[in-house]
Amino acid sequence: MEERPSLSNEPARYVLLLPAVLVVMFLSIFPLLLSIFTSLSNIKFVKGGFEVNYVGLRNYEKLLQGSQQRRFLGRFDDPGTFGWIVLAVFAAFMAYWLFRYVTGPRRRVFGLIMRVLTVIISGGLLWLLVRTSSGRGLPGTLVVTLIFVFSGVAAQYALGLLLALLVTQDLPGKRFFRVVFLLPMMLTPVGIGFLFRMLSDTLIGPIAPVWKAVGLYNFSWVNNPATARLAIVIGDTWQWTPFVFIILLAALEGLPTETVEAALVDGANRWQMFRYIILPQIIPVSTTVILVRMIEAFKIIDMPQAMTRGGPGTATESVTLHAYNLWRALDLGTSSALAYCLLFVVTFVALVFVNFIRQRLLEMI
Amino acid sequence: MAALRKFFQSSSPLKPSPAAMTISYVLLGLWTFFVLFPIYWLFVTAFKLPVDVNTGPKYLMYVDFQPSTHAWRELLVESGNLVTRPYRNTVIVGLSSAVLALTLGAMASYALSRFSYRPKPGLIATFILCVVLAIVAINVEVPWQLAVAAALSTFLLIALTIGRRFKGTMSNDDIAFWLISQRMLPPVAVIVPIYILFQQFGLLNTYYALIITYTAVNLPLAIWFMRDYFKSIPIELEESAFIDGASRYQVLYKVVLPLSAPGLVATFLIVLIFAWNEYTLGLFLSGADTQTLPVLVVAQNATRGPQWWNISVLVLLMIAPVFLLAIVLERYIARGILIGAVKG
Amino acid sequence: MRRLSVLLTILALVVASLASTGISYSQDKPFEGVSINLLTFTGPQIAEPLQRHAPEFKELTGAEVNVITVPFADLYQTILTDQATGTNSYDAFVFAPQWMVDLVNYLEDLTPYVENDPAIQWDDIAPFFRNFSAMYQGRIYLIPLDGDFHMVYYRTDVLEEAGLQPPRTWDEYLEVAAAVHGKDMNGDGEGDYGSCISKARSAQAYWWITSIAGPYIQSLGTAQGVWFDTETMKPLIDNEGFIRALEIYKETSKYGPPDEATLDVGDTRSLFVGGRCALSLDWGDIGTLAIDPTISVVQDKVGAVITPGATEVVDRATGKLVPCDETSCPYAVDGVNYAPFASYGGWSGGVSAGIAQEKKDAAYAYFSYVAQPAQANIDVTIGKTGFNPYRVSQFENLEPWLQAGMSEQAARNYLGAIQDSLNSPNMILDLRIPQNQRYQQVVLDTVLSQFLAGEYTAEEAAKEISDQWEEITDELGREAQREAYLGTLGIQK
Repeated sequence: MEERPSLSNEPARYVLLLPAVLVVMFLSIFPLLLSIFTSLSNIKFVKGGFEVNYVGLRNYEKLLQGSQQRRFLGRFDDPGTFGWIVLAVFAAFMAYWLFRYVTGPRRRVFGLIMRVLTVIISGGLLWLLVRTSSGRGLPGTLVVTLIFVFSGVAAQYALGLLLALLVTQDLPGKRFFRVVFLLPMMLTPVGIGFLFRMLSDTLIGPIAPVWKAVGLYNFSWVNNPATARLAIVIGDTWQWTPFVFIILLAALEGLPTETVEAALVDGANRWQMFRYIILPQIIPVSTTVILVRMIEAFKIIDMPQAMTRGGPGTATESVTLHAYNLWRALDLGTSSALAYCLLFVVTFVALVFVNFIRQRLLEMI
Repeated sequence: MAALRKFFQSSSPLKPSPAAMTISYVLLGLWTFFVLFPIYWLFVTAFKLPVDVNTGPKYLMYVDFQPSTHAWRELLVESGNLVTRPYRNTVIVGLSSAVLALTLGAMASYALSRFSYRPKPGLIATFILCVVLAIVAINVEVPWQLAVAAALSTFLLIALTIGRRFKGTMSNDDIAFWLISQRMLPPVAVIVPIYILFQQFGLLNTYYALIITYTAVNLPLAIWFMRDYFKSIPIELEESAFIDGASRYQVLYKVVLPLSAPGLVATFLIVLIFAWNEYTLGLFLSGADTQTLPVLVVAQNATRGPQWWNISVLVLLMIAPVFLLAIVLERYIARGILIGAVKG
Repeated sequence: MRRLSVLLTILALVVASLASTGISYSQDKPFEGVSINLLTFTGPQIAEPLQRHAPEFKELTGAEVNVITVPFADLYQTILTDQATGTNSYDAFVFAPQWMVDLVNYLEDLTPYVENDPAIQWDDIAPFFRNFSAMYQGRIYLIPLDGDFHMVYYRTDVLEEAGLQPPRTWDEYLEVAAAVHGKDMNGDGEGDYGSCISKARSAQAYWWITSIAGPYIQSLGTAQGVWFDTETMKPLIDNEGFIRALEIYKETSKYGPPDEATLDVGDTRSLFVGGRCALSLDWGDIGTLAIDPTISVVQDKVGAVITPGATEVVDRATGKLVPCDETSCPYAVDGVNYAPFASYGGWSGGVSAGIAQEKKDAAYAYFSYVAQPAQANIDVTIGKTGFNPYRVSQFENLEPWLQAGMSEQAARNYLGAIQDSLNSPNMILDLRIPQNQRYQQVVLDTVLSQFLAGEYTAEEAAKEISDQWEEITDELGREAQREAYLGTLGIQK
């Protein structure tokens, strides 16, 4: 269905859009501006309000170079051989991508600038990832958040799509599954955090006997960074797969029948049906749901907070949890600065996703 | 897939092959277990005495341990309105904000999928500048009414006179991106500004603060989801309605919304759940009279360690109404109204 | 103009004194129709007695007390945002006295109220709580409802069987823990743990390190201070004593449950009263929880002692450990320097300064009611309340303890350990300088857990804490922080 946006001047175009824009604006512009200002100051609560001291970029400096660097970015070490290979492959790939664009038919100065920026920032993130995960390096909250986001969202999308496809089949009892699968999403996130802490307890939780039987009596997943992160990703997947599931389910239910009929007449098999008929139709919704999940996942806080408190050490501390911990001790300035660093990364990832990946996928249809 | 199966049913008696069905059931069964076991654990924990929880895993009521309703009694009977009051607050706030977000979101996303907007970045920058000036003015003790009025009139003046000169426009996609970008900043960064905002309006400790916030926070989600649904609705149906003399609003209300019922229901459920379960903003914007349930859940983790039995009871109480609603509304998601309508 | 304000002040004082006399309850329901919102964290402890006494209080005075609770971790900011922005949706608060320095601006000076209220029996409250926890710069702002001290609990039966004495020093603590670790202590056939100490992040774990490091750092009496050098305001962290404490802290994990790093103090209490630990470090709570049959399997098998001490102490000039002698450790007992930590100072009630006078009176009267011996001396014997003893009469009168189910020996042992701590001339005081939450909850807590996770060595951790504390001190103003610090030490117990 080709959409035909009209430029007509009927009043409906404002009547319909403006209320939403105004409500969002009301709660966005002022807080946004004020929190930029907060991130540039030190704030103290004093009698009758706040005492604000402007400190320039010092809060950001603290995060990127100063005392909070180790916690936010991580501890660096030289990338090993493997690290250099990863970086080289990435560099080669990016160079090829830019080269293609420059020699391609649709090159523009603005587009080129955007792409160069993309390469620089994503290269920087990869550099961070490689250097904090090799040798004596330790990932900071930013890298930990990226790990949570990408592994979590990938798992949720794959599982959500699989489950949605399964329950749109003509199976007896499928309505039971549909309702049950939605359950995790309805629990309050903070409750889920506690629930998984209870479940993952190796002393008094339900898996304790299993744990003991396989000889892990003195091993607790919370003491190992990798297993602690895995536990959090499992909890997060449990919670948010239903979200992907319900959106994709509605999209699958809404597919028009004609194309499917035509494909069947042509003798398409299951895989072909999925790849050429169904997948293209659900790509717009898929990209939306992935984008939304990514944006939400960057703000992950309840699960690590309740399950591990960010431990062992800072192995499972997300940026939002880091900001919240600073906030709790009323270091509002650094906390806001941290939130803005996160905002920068999220905006970047979302822009890349919308402009390059989503666009590409939509064109492929 | 549904469409595919429907086709199979109506034209030929083919069903998924037994092998495919078996695999499907095994996969679905595994996931069902994965989903239900934690909830089962909540359920049994809600009936455990502290000593049953602390002395190792107990799985079955009456077999491993004697169920006790002490946590239910403590929360629902002995502590008065400890639970009922937040419960009422959560229902009011959750439902109102979900309905508002859905209504405003449906309108906006319909507009975004049918009209083409060309907002000018220059104008937007001017607007932000005016807001900044107003804030600065208020800070140097100009009365806020005056500052707002002055900023607004400055903006209108510029917009109406030299506004047409601004070059460069943005598209619907940019508006949509701006909307979704409102969800990117973690709540912790905006708590204090929002708190001050509502304090200035005297709305703290009222339902309005929470309802407005949750509506604004969930609107971008609603708009993004519904935009996709509206896009997939054939525009021919609307055109024929226009030919029959319907107005834009009638078309939206009588043609588009019924057609997108599955999407509306799914979106409604999601925004309701988000508002129902939100914690951070709820903690600070709610006062003594408007505290919501998630705050009470977190609060069960006190200096004496998490009160697992109380947490379990509260989470079960919280999930019950939403779950019932999901059961009721599930039909609408499943029915595939759209398909029938297109054919009819 | 000035005359008017003087007049108003006098008028207010008159009204106040008239109202205060009403607290003796001789009048028929003096606060009929008054309703106060009291904010604290969710219980059951602390909130439970406050909720339980509210209907009784209404019966007596007519005042309606609504207890509103928020999660413990968010209590501090909730109070501060509510008061600093002038929202004033809460009338009274129950919180930790350590926060007083940040909150005192918003609190009502309760000195005149206490002076006019014989029923509270102010002199019966132990001097430390009365003079340090409740006061700020010589004025009373808080009503103590609870007493808090770190103590070490041990299983009398387990230690006896192994032929061991309760630990006197931290080295002995490790020896005892090592000796009994892996024994079955609750008869379920499984090995149990030598030592359970809550080490979860973002909880209350960061308090323990001060109890361990204290005896290595502070030996010349309470006024010497354990946090900063009183001259330069340099943290007393990057020295051999603190590093030794870090090593001990880490070594206790060897004899603890595998997931000790996520255990809250509530979890370790459960483990201890569930019979799974031989030693534990805790506030006064285990003592009363252990006698509650619904949760405890170790009734009358629990002993308590003052937190262990050290035989070496840091020479502040060099940062090196030197053996204790009569000049370096004047308060040592049998060569062991003890430094019990009065951490938290006990939950206390304060009244908002920004509310109507009748509400202030009602709020004060309620705190007074809860703190009066008739109520308090029963409450402290109930594990669920979370209230620990803080009145002299609670230590002297064993009757309520026996009625609550403690044996006489257990009661003497438990109260004795608290009294030993209370009477120590070398007691450690809480850090009560502005933004102490940042020093402790952010820096100390995070670096400690990173150290436990192996991200830092002990030396690196000490340096990291020290550097970050210096940064905060510089940011807030070194001289101002030093003055605040000296002020808190100068108040003699």
